Amino acid sequence: MNEPPTPPRLAEQLLAFLCPSTIADEVVGDLHEEFAGVARHKGKVAARAWYTVQTLRLVTHALRARARQHHVPDPHAQRPGDSIMRSLLTDTRQAFRLLLKQPALAALVVLTLSLGLGANAAIFKVIDALVLHPFTLPDIERLTLIAETGPEFSLDLQETVSPANFADWKKQTDVFEQLAAFDWWEVNLASREEAERVSGFRVTANFFDALGVRPALGRTFTAAEETVGNHHRVVISHDLWQRRFSGDPAILGQTILVDAVPHEIVGITPAGFSFPLGSDIWSPLALTSEQAQARSSRYLTVIGRLRPGKSVAAAHAQVTVVGERLAQQYPEHNKEHGAKVMTLAAGMRDQGLGPIVLLWQASAAFVLLIACANIANLLLARGAERHRELAVRAALGASRFRMMRELLVESLVLACAAVPAALAFAWFGIRLIRINLPPRLVRFVQGWENLDVDLRLMFFTLALAAATAIVFGLLPALRASRPALVDALKDGSRGATVGRNRQWIRRALVVGQVALALPLLVASTLSAMGAQRFLHGAQGYEPRGLLTMNAELPLAVYEKPESRRQFVENVLAKLREMPGVEGVGIVNVLPTSGGNAGRAITVEGAPPVDPANPPYVDYRTVTADLLETMRIPVLRGRGFTPADSEAGQPVVIVSQSLATKHFGEADPLGKRIKLGDSPWLTVVGVGGDVIHNWFGRRNAPTAYRPYVQAPSLGLCFVIRGNGDLASLTRPAKAAVRSVDPSLAVFLLMPMQEALAERTIGLQYVAAIMAVFGAIALVLAVVGVYSLMAFMVTQRTHEIGVRIALGATRRNVVSLTVRQSATMALWGVAIGLVLSFGVGRTLGSLLMGVISGDLRVSLGLAVILLGAAAAAAYIPARRATSIDPMVALRQ
Amino acid sequence: MADVYLGEFEQIVLLAILRLGDEAYAIPVRDEIARRTGRAVARGALYTALERLETKGCLRSRMSDPRPERGGRSRRYYSVSASGIAALRSARAALLALWKGVESQLEGR
Repeated sequence: MNEPPTPPRLAEQLLAFLCPSTIADEVVGDLHEEFAGVARHKGKVAARAWYTVQTLRLVTHALRARARQHHVPDPHAQRPGDSIMRSLLTDTRQAFRLLLKQPALAALVVLTLSLGLGANAAIFKVIDALVLHPFTLPDIERLTLIAETGPEFSLDLQETVSPANFADWKKQTDVFEQLAAFDWWEVNLASREEAERVSGFRVTANFFDALGVRPALGRTFTAAEETVGNHHRVVISHDLWQRRFSGDPAILGQTILVDAVPHEIVGITPAGFSFPLGSDIWSPLALTSEQAQARSSRYLTVIGRLRPGKSVAAAHAQVTVVGERLAQQYPEHNKEHGAKVMTLAAGMRDQGLGPIVLLWQASAAFVLLIACANIANLLLARGAERHRELAVRAALGASRFRMMRELLVESLVLACAAVPAALAFAWFGIRLIRINLPPRLVRFVQGWENLDVDLRLMFFTLALAAATAIVFGLLPALRASRPALVDALKDGSRGATVGRNRQWIRRALVVGQVALALPLLVASTLSAMGAQRFLHGAQGYEPRGLLTMNAELPLAVYEKPESRRQFVENVLAKLREMPGVEGVGIVNVLPTSGGNAGRAITVEGAPPVDPANPPYVDYRTVTADLLETMRIPVLRGRGFTPADSEAGQPVVIVSQSLATKHFGEADPLGKRIKLGDSPWLTVVGVGGDVIHNWFGRRNAPTAYRPYVQAPSLGLCFVIRGNGDLASLTRPAKAAVRSVDPSLAVFLLMPMQEALAERTIGLQYVAAIMAVFGAIALVLAVVGVYSLMAFMVTQRTHEIGVRIALGATRRNVVSLTVRQSATMALWGVAIGLVLSFGVGRTLGSLLMGVISGDLRVSLGLAVILLGAAAAAAYIPARRATSIDPMVALRQ
Repeated sequence: MADVYLGEFEQIVLLAILRLGDEAYAIPVRDEIARRTGRAVARGALYTALERLETKGCLRSRMSDPRPERGGRSRRYYSVSASGIAALRSARAALLALWKGVESQLEGR
């Protein structure tokens, strides 16, 4: 015969534990007995589920029975007929009264907690506004991004779709109401006033419908305007309309010059609309039939509006199938490519932002944990003071559950009291985050305008406070509600040492604080060092004293290379004449600019490489004196001279890293290379390496060609001034305009400012981590201090005896300091292990700009130890002043 | 003795125990109530009522020997005490007195 089924053990034990012994047999036994019947009828699994549910339903009964067991009425006991709410209210009132009796303690707890909560709230808001809900578009939940997947798009979601695949998606899917595509477009805008550089997009005609946006004025595009020749029309943003056309409605139907080509303004978007982020101008995406049939050039970004009732998952399933079909149909282009669908918010998110804000949130959580440990310790200390009171109540029959609940309600009251202050801290933090971002960049951060204290944030903070209250309140409540009765009643008033157990927990809390504080300090120091190195470290050129400005020659006007050379020559001549200018140069791409230009390199005589995957190098075309102006050293050979003319021998200067990578030990001078489809170029010099981008493009192999031999359309002017750079901006701009007034000059700023802007994210990381580090340090030190102060108070009697027996000041001080040093050492040891992990995480998040450094960790560990020792010294001093006679009389 | 007041549910519990005689412990009591009144009683509510009735002196209880089908735990058997009988009687008398003369009114509605 089978063993009879038995009830779930855990549930049974729980019930037996909760029931007072007088009713345990009856209640647990009855349920056991009935279980067999249920198991016979419904099977074992259902019976076990039934048993668990019954157990949970009996919990209140068991607890009430426990409460009724105590015949001596507890003054705070639940009277029959009291609702739970009512008795909670009583507890709350009681908690307020108790806290008001100890205002200093309450204030300390509230302050500590509001710091921790405020830090978390501020970071939560950043995540909420920038990552979770960055868009304010209507029906945002129906908007999706559809991306091609492929080996070259490991992280990229935008600019991944080829026109032919887009057209097939459109034909073969039915989950989307609209499927729209866009392509990046940056233009020179010339009209009544000075020319301006404007960001925009070329979009399919249904782009605005897909987003659910109607123009504030005029219309959007028609399908007929998606054809070449008929596409010279633009919709402009409300912002551009106000800024450039002073909100004149008559602008509709008028023509403006966009990259020197006349375009008709057909519509104006509603105020606040700027999608994709930072765009001011939209034009129809008109592709030639050849472009439209291209399947392997992938540059479009595709968004879709789901039909009502269709989910992102359904869309993803369908698009995946279509993607697989296209891969089979066009294996030569699509073999390794698929497709995926995600929400627009997920798709348009800055991929680098997520991990960084997660890092912040984790740090904020650390801070909160440290704060919790601190508060738990303070409450434990108070529990120790109150344990006589609680012991008396327990002896009189107050239930443990009742006392625990009361203590937890106290914690909750404290936590809720901290919420307003926390919100104030959060508001302040968010203000700081907001005002420190340069206004020029604000429009590129999606959701930035949503950064503010709002209802969601209040709810978040309240919920977090409640959770926190349980975290910091549970331990003291458990401890305090189980006082060692006899001990407490016997000698509680003597101030003798409390049970070893309690001491152990309090020390562990302090150790934990120190252990958590160290990695935070390490992370903030490493971030600060990274930002510092980025800004002031060796760049391979001299950014100080450099003014930069950018211009883009429109192809329509500057189709002939000769016209570009002419323009550059004329502008350079004017710039050189300006007073205060030491040198002038032009390069197609500036270091740290975010953009880049690359060419496949072929080395004469080198073994052939895989033609599908040739090595690329950074490609720069520079005027003769650029290297000298930027102070990029020529290590061997020569720099460019006016002799390197259009008709002269094609030449090239390579960077040190290129020489090492492609020529090894051999002397590159006189060797020949090809860059892309260039003629053979003779290497005439080796230049120093330049840090183009601290995130991954340090000392990248770079080749420089003379501008006259390879004139580009994109121009970055570099002006070295010997005085105030600001005084050069106006004449520099005027110099360009005097040569071509339709040309927009943009990003006119000192090189150092550009560097600073480029590192703004890193500076934010560093600043926020520094704040967290500082809070953590203060909290940890306060934690050590308060525990030591408490211990000294508790041991007054013992220390008095020691002094009476002849202990010296030194003995007493070292006794106290040694104790705190032991805790700090343990904390630092654990913290060092954590720091190692934090250093590695930071390194991988910030791509090597920051790397773990053992010296930093050790240095900070020493500082933390010193702070802990100092924090213990004050109570230690007080211990020495104990008068043995007074102490013994206590 | 008759000054113990019984609520409706308490009367039901006492009557069920009387009906069960020697076999009255919580499980059959609950079943009996369900069978006779069609009312499913929450386990916790029944235990509370039993405990209260015992405190009031209307019930007596005794523990059985440990039983294997209960995981080695005892049953608590209940029996109605003399004062329980008295309380039931007075409750019944009070109700009957009040019922007198109103039955015809309830019929018509």
